Amino acid sequence: MATINATLSVSSDVTKYGFSINNTMEMRKAGSTAGLELTTGLARKTFTSTNHVDLLTAGSGIAADVTASKSAKVYIKNVGSSTSDYFTIGLGKSSGTGTEEAFDMADSGEKQAQLGNLYGGDWMLIPWQADSTNGYGDITVKPNVATTMSLEYMVFFE
Amino acid sequence: MATTTASLTIDSSDLVGDALSLSTSNTLYKAGTTTGLEQTTGMASLYLTATTQIDLFPVLPASPAGAGKQSWVYICNKATDETHYVRITIADSVIGDLYGGDFMWMPWSQQAQHADIELAPSAAAAAAGVFVEFTCIHEGITYPTEADS
Repeated sequence: MATINATLSVSSDVTKYGFSINNTMEMRKAGSTAGLELTTGLARKTFTSTNHVDLLTAGSGIAADVTASKSAKVYIKNVGSSTSDYFTIGLGKSSGTGTEEAFDMADSGEKQAQLGNLYGGDWMLIPWQADSTNGYGDITVKPNVATTMSLEYMVFFE
Repeated sequence: MATTTASLTIDSSDLVGDALSLSTSNTLYKAGTTTGLEQTTGMASLYLTATTQIDLFPVLPASPAGAGKQSWVYICNKATDETHYVRITIADSVIGDLYGGDFMWMPWSQQAQHADIELAPSAAAAAAGVFVEFTCIHEGITYPTEADS
């Protein structure tokens, strides 16, 4: 059993009275006090087109060993420094083309939702269900420009 | 202009052969600028006792004020029981489960009518009652128009 701690600190003067978050979580197996023991390691990927593609495909590739519906955490960072170029991170089906897969709840094979945009230096940490059904749980990425941009990412899982 | 800084450290002495330590920090800007985000929902705390799925923020209308802009979302399951989880979804797609003590931090695209962030406690969490905390730091959210009558 490993011990992995993630500590988030947010400080802001967005309100007159100040605003802060300071929280530490231990990454644990689902419903357990045992720590997550597996990781993909820190990966880095470079993109040179605006194609909408899978970054993490549930059940295959670098995420092949991630057990769906258990506990997993995904860290993603845009390692660039641009304040105008960004990656759109999504969940579900990637189109493989320069046009992002449209949201279509009526077609179970087309489910895709944007999570948000990571500009240069931005990062995120989320739980990941890794549902491999019709690609519902795939984590997708779409650069907004075709210039060279890089992401770093890491999955902690059981 | 406000300045908001978010920092993350992930460390482990025994996950891999050598100690793992990752630290990163960023300043939260409005989309495509170096101007800091100036608005927040504030930190909310909710006590939930049903498994009903709820929207954490106002339901996104056809033309959200935050569409095409930048928003950041923090959600924390304050349960102390490690088996009590809350399920986080977006547009009815499951992102993942936050077990007791877990948190998440992510950017949020306020896509029109599609990207509501939802939360549903597990049966055990609801039965025991579960506190969740959440906030959004943003550059626009559409609040419901008043409807007294």
